[in-house]
Amino acid sequence: MGTKIDYRRELERAARQMILIHRVDTLTKLILRIVVQATKIKHAGIFIYDKNRDEYVVRVSRGKEGFKMPSGFLKVRKNNPIIRYFTDKSLDFPKKAIVWDQLVGVSKSSSARSKKIPKQFLDDLMSHLSLYHAKVCIPGFFRNDLIGVLFLGEKKSKRNFTEEEISFLSVLASDVVMAIKNAWLIEDLNHQLQINKRLFLQTVVALASSIEAKDVYTIGHTERVTKYALIIAEGLRRYKKIENWEKFREDLRIAALLHDIGKIGIPEDILNKKSPLNDKERSVIEKHPAIGAKILENIEEFKEVLSGVRHHHEKFDGRGYPSGLKGRKIPLIAAIISLADAFDAMITDRPYRKALNTDEAIGEIKRQRGKQFSPLVVDVFLKVYNNKNNHKR
Amino acid sequence: MKKKVLAVDDEKEIVEFLENFLARFDITTIKATTGQEALQYYHQYQPEYVFLDIKIPDKDGITILKEIRKLNPSVKVIMITGSEEKECQDKAKKYGAIDYITKPLDLNDLKEKIKEYIL
Repeated sequence: MGTKIDYRRELERAARQMILIHRVDTLTKLILRIVVQATKIKHAGIFIYDKNRDEYVVRVSRGKEGFKMPSGFLKVRKNNPIIRYFTDKSLDFPKKAIVWDQLVGVSKSSSARSKKIPKQFLDDLMSHLSLYHAKVCIPGFFRNDLIGVLFLGEKKSKRNFTEEEISFLSVLASDVVMAIKNAWLIEDLNHQLQINKRLFLQTVVALASSIEAKDVYTIGHTERVTKYALIIAEGLRRYKKIENWEKFREDLRIAALLHDIGKIGIPEDILNKKSPLNDKERSVIEKHPAIGAKILENIEEFKEVLSGVRHHHEKFDGRGYPSGLKGRKIPLIAAIISLADAFDAMITDRPYRKALNTDEAIGEIKRQRGKQFSPLVVDVFLKVYNNKNNHKR
Repeated sequence: MKKKVLAVDDEKEIVEFLENFLARFDITTIKATTGQEALQYYHQYQPEYVFLDIKIPDKDGITILKEIRKLNPSVKVIMITGSEEKECQDKAKKYGAIDYITKPLDLNDLKEKIKEYIL
């Protein structure tokens, strides 16, 4: 009676945990631990169907030294009798568990059942089972597909497996299969998501480079600003807790790539003018952050990106544009792009002036600390810059 | 006298598994998990057969193969390779390995190789 209660509890515990786990290996490891503990066997392994190889490969195993089947080292082919026992339609017997002791009984008797298992196949099956030290094999089906097979070694007590244990393991196996199916689905989805994400980023880059076609002085600029912005953000993370870092970094990357997208709406003769701009022209150019934000505002996921694009020309002392935001009112994402943008602008030639050298640019950034730029962002920038320079020497 | 096999793989579990498997055929296994160990044990025990993984971190399998073959040109080396490593398999044959087995392996194939070359 005691064992009965144990199994039920194990089963419930396993089922509860299975729902939460989406990675196949984590799940199968957990299941195997439960199986080995519950049945006290020398070793066990789960062979899972490998789509690419079209064979069953051992993914997870447990057991004592020498018996444990190293993960990824062993397989069984689809035509292996252990697999064929479950999948070959010409073999007409129930596709339930393979149990060594029952096979021994069958091979010795001439009962009705033995007639259904051809002698040759039976011998072959038993010889393969013994190669893997398998006393019991439990199939895991999803509809008509054999997804995996649980191999169980001998019990430490050398006793036979009970009917109750076999049915417990069979229930577990069918739950495992459901969970594996789910996990595969999620892995496929994640894979698809990665592809979509890459496609999306490439689209953003393509969009960003459309500005460069128009404004010759920005060639390479967006790319460099993005690089500087990400370096600053990485540095900043060491001093300040950034909520939801992964998302912040992606938003920053996209906002930096698109920060000048609004220049698409500015006449070329103003963008590429070689002499200083007059007030009217300047006011036209200063519209580009707002135009950029307008272009992107219909993309629902771009809330943070939008604030980076819109506010990358705000100044810490409130004298920037378009909103004249001050101090901490300026979104962090915009404050970072602002510095990265200004730094790159200083160290490259512009239509109306020559480039500064980096020391001059650094001096200017220090002078603008708390005026044009956020003191925090300047401090991080200087630290990162000095570290990098020290490494170079 | 019992036949001796040197099993070389950087994964301890694999050489232990091979040892246990070969014991069924009454074969003694000498286990090595690094290239250095492989050469040292080869000197020490002079096994007639070697199972050799093609990827050993400290010394690649082909180098070990060459060095062992220099010591004894008639040694029978079976390489263990990944199934996608066609180039390595060709190289192994070129440098005198008698055969190779691919990971993951079906134990029946391994049994056949043991019968063919060792028993």
